Amino acid sequence: MSELKVAVIGGGIAGLSAAYFLAKSGAEVEVFEQRYLLYGASGRNSGGLTVQFNDEELIKLALRSLDLYDELQSEVKFNFLLRKDGYLKIANKNDEAKLESEASLLKKFGVKIEILNQNEVKELVPDINTKAFDLAYYFSKGGTVFPWPVIWGLARGCKALGVKVYDYTPATVVVENGSVKGVQTLDGLHKADFVINAAGAWSNEVSKSAGVELDNKIFKENICVTESLRPYLDPYIFDVSNNAYLSQSMRGEIVGGVVGREIDQIDKKGELDPLIRYAKFATNLIPKLKGLSVLRQWVGVYDLGKNGKPVIGFTKVKGFVQLNGFGRHGMSLGLAAGEKVAEMVLKK
Amino acid sequence: MVKTEMGRLQEHPILEFKRGKEVTIYFNGKPIKAFEGETVAAALYAAGVRVFSRSFKWHRPRGFFCAIGKCSACMMEVDGIPNVRTCKVYVRDGMQVKTQSGMPEAENDVLSILDDVMDTVFPHGSHYLKFTTSKNARRFIVNQLRKFTGFGYPPKAVYQGKAGYEEIETEVLVIGGGPGGMSAAINAAKYGAKVLILDENPFLGGQLVKQTHRFFGSAKERAGTRGIKIAEILEGELRSFKNVDVRLETRAFGIYNGEVGAHQKGEVDKLLRIKAKKIIVATGAYERTLVFENNDLPGVYGAGGVQTLMNVYGIKPGNRGLIVGSGNVGLILTYQLMQAGVEVAAIVEALPTIGGYFVHAAKVSRLGVPIYTRHTILKALGKKCVEGAIIAKLDERWNPIPGTEKKFDCDFICVAVGLSPAHELLYQAGCEMKFIPELGGLVPLRTKYNETTVPGLYTAGDVDGIEEATAAIMEGRICGIHAAISLGYGGKEAEKELEEAVKELDEFRAGPFGQKVVVGIKKCLVEGVKV
Ligand SMILES: Cc1cc2nc3c(=O)[nH]c(=O)nc-3n(C[C@H](O)[C@H](O)[C@H](O)COP(=O)(O)OP(=O)(O)OC[C@H]3O[C@@H](n4cnc5c(N)ncnc54)[C@H](O)[C@@H]3O)c2cc1C
Ligand SMILES: Cc1cc2nc3c(=O)[nH]c(=O)nc-3n(C[C@H](O)[C@H](O)[C@H](O)COP(=O)(O)OP(=O)(O)OC[C@H]3O[C@@H](n4cnc5c(N)ncnc54)[C@H](O)[C@@H]3O)c2cc1C
Ligand code: FES
Repeated sequence: MSELKVAVIGGGIAGLSAAYFLAKSGAEVEVFEQRYLLYGASGRNSGGLTVQFNDEELIKLALRSLDLYDELQSEVKFNFLLRKDGYLKIANKNDEAKLESEASLLKKFGVKIEILNQNEVKELVPDINTKAFDLAYYFSKGGTVFPWPVIWGLARGCKALGVKVYDYTPATVVVENGSVKGVQTLDGLHKADFVINAAGAWSNEVSKSAGVELDNKIFKENICVTESLRPYLDPYIFDVSNNAYLSQSMRGEIVGGVVGREIDQIDKKGELDPLIRYAKFATNLIPKLKGLSVLRQWVGVYDLGKNGKPVIGFTKVKGFVQLNGFGRHGMSLGLAAGEKVAEMVLKK
Repeated sequence: MVKTEMGRLQEHPILEFKRGKEVTIYFNGKPIKAFEGETVAAALYAAGVRVFSRSFKWHRPRGFFCAIGKCSACMMEVDGIPNVRTCKVYVRDGMQVKTQSGMPEAENDVLSILDDVMDTVFPHGSHYLKFTTSKNARRFIVNQLRKFTGFGYPPKAVYQGKAGYEEIETEVLVIGGGPGGMSAAINAAKYGAKVLILDENPFLGGQLVKQTHRFFGSAKERAGTRGIKIAEILEGELRSFKNVDVRLETRAFGIYNGEVGAHQKGEVDKLLRIKAKKIIVATGAYERTLVFENNDLPGVYGAGGVQTLMNVYGIKPGNRGLIVGSGNVGLILTYQLMQAGVEVAAIVEALPTIGGYFVHAAKVSRLGVPIYTRHTILKALGKKCVEGAIIAKLDERWNPIPGTEKKFDCDFICVAVGLSPAHELLYQAGCEMKFIPELGGLVPLRTKYNETTVPGLYTAGDVDGIEEATAAIMEGRICGIHAAISLGYGGKEAEKELEEAVKELDEFRAGPFGQKVVVGIKKCLVEGVKV
């Protein structure tokens, strides 16, 4: 077993999770990150964790991920600052069918989604404007996680298992006679039996270097934090109809944004329109947030599989594995997806 | 010598303080007298309040520091709204002001004990590493940690300010109304360009308004005139143009692809979306500080904070100060303090020689203030605010020499060790930046007309390298004219003036004090596109 060599391209949650589980089973793993850990979406997201999806596969990954969050923190001895204080999806009537089908699908998995009335929501979030939505679907075991310690902790766990994590090392895939030979970096060829493409928004390019077509959609999302307040807001709130969200970070800032839009080319420049839309959304939902200052705004990019689902599995090039396309839900899905890919590779 | 009443200067040899109506504000429930036109922080300071907040983690005392809304040390809850920078809001009769960090309040904070124990129990970063193995322990720790987060309490009332929105189109947008920005606006406007100029302060003039001394600099650029006077002259000229729109209390917060976002305060809190063909960033600089023990104690200031307090609000910073840094700013500040009847214990300078001009140094010596060259400050003394300071001599390798320590009694320390460019907007706009020590920090690459690598985006003044008001005015002139020309204004005449202006600035910098700047600028000069 110890001869199995794996190269992982991308030091986000997906890549590091795969690396961790592979190394745990004895594989020799190298992780290549083009810039620094946290450069990708995994360092720029809002950390909302839920299982409220309309797809069995996603639900399975999300449920497993929630367990893994607990297990991994103990294993790598690192506190991810995870708060399971609930995930609240709100919406107007038009989206009732969508939320209903999610809830009934989840019932099959034994997961209870509470449908709250306005008063119950008010108990959960006292200052919420109950006129801002019609429906509220609450998953009490969801919550928020601070993404940075997740990445730091995973990297730490990886290194303890002997994984080499290279930062500032962009990599491309080297293929010979229909199977991977390894990855190419500026300092030369790193041989590998398997190459895992966990390059997030850059996955299409990485895939291209392996000669495998991947047509993930790329999204750009603006997000911001306000100045910090005492603990105030427990659940993560996602507005399905307005495509916007907010929560309170472990530092007390109100973190939020509007869901990203599709772009052709990756750029990470902040934009004014989403900021304005978000401010309107946030102050309408919780009017007492009016008057708070925004401290920072930034942009993250992520990729979504072209059929709206992550791309996980083998390709026509032997040894080249996809682990990407998580859309806005990589934090909820990434840990379990990494574990799954590790299992697939180990079985081969 | 100078009369003070309620902590406020009454007579001043140069300045005249017009105070508004007397009002009462409430600080943690206690009534405090104040005058209209004063900021809340200034009024509290005059009333003897020194601890304004507590730090986030260790609950160390924080006091009035920058006086210009940049450091967050003065944040309090004002009329139910949390995290208000009290140095930026003006007093109003009946205003309720509360400290928000600290239990029960910032002044007497029982949690300040954390400062003494935290480091041993929880060394930096260890909250990620402790109590991690059991799920319940983790949950407990996260909940406890969470309790300590946040500054202000969540708002108790919905903010009543009216929100507004305005879209503006202009040819030239100038961000910052100091000498650099005003000069840029004047010179673009005089050739006919439509100009909008913003400043986050309620007044124009930037750093100049604090300067009560006669100016150094070249005759042509008004040497010998006091800084505040120069600000008035520039403002008068600026306001004489019909094609200039001046917006005060308006802060630009971002440059988004040619469009600028700004927030204008007032009756209506407005979001401005400004589309400008040319943007000139003249945001000035921040004060630097030094690393020494207790440098965060209330009573340790930058020169600007002390100047604002004293020269803008007429409030005495303390009774006896220690000045760190003998550049012009440190020297000038010293005699400004003495003018206001404040004692100066000493000036400390790390270099072997005095940094500022001879005239200023001579004046200070005549007043009997000792200057300790080759000395540095080791620590500030005091628990809740400065009660003294310890300085020591430095050896050739800049290490303090044991046994040379001297103790001074003083109730404030003023660090005047220079400025760093306020470059954030340039960086955010995507300008190529370079760290250039001779210019004071991170500055943009630019052409000789001060255009950055983002086409149509210019800079003027301290933001592209720390110099002086004279240079800021000259740079403003250059980029103002260049912007006008590239918009099609001014013709031959403007082109001629532009070349003259470039030459004059070169000549100004050719003097002995410009040498460092010339070296610095060489490192960031790029070829531009010819207009
Ligand atoms: C603003 C925002 C908010 C979000 N909120 C949530 C949320 O609340 N809940 C949730 O579940 N998800 C959220 N997401 C989505 C989540 O962040 C992503 O799905 C997840 O981080 C994707 O992880 P990843 O490992 O696939 O990709 P990334 O974290 O992007 O990692 C990919 C890494 O690969 C590197 N890379 C790329 N090309 C190369 C190369 N050639 N060589 C070497 N390295 C390379 C990149 O630099 C990058 O670091 C949000 C995303 C954003 C942007
Ligand atoms: C004590 C002291 C003494 C001095 N003495 C002299 C002297 O004798 N002779 C001399 O030539 N020079 C002197 N100087 C230096 C001189 O004052 C500065 O070099 C000069 O003021 C720089 O001008 P500026 O326009 O670049 O910046 P500033 O004067 O700093 O003005 C910048 C302006 O931009 C505004 N601003 C910043 N960010 C924003 C934003 N995002 N939105 C809107 N507005 C913004 C600020 O509020 C400020 O008003 C002295 C300085 C000090 C501190
Ligand atoms: S922000 Fe008010 S003193 Fe610095």
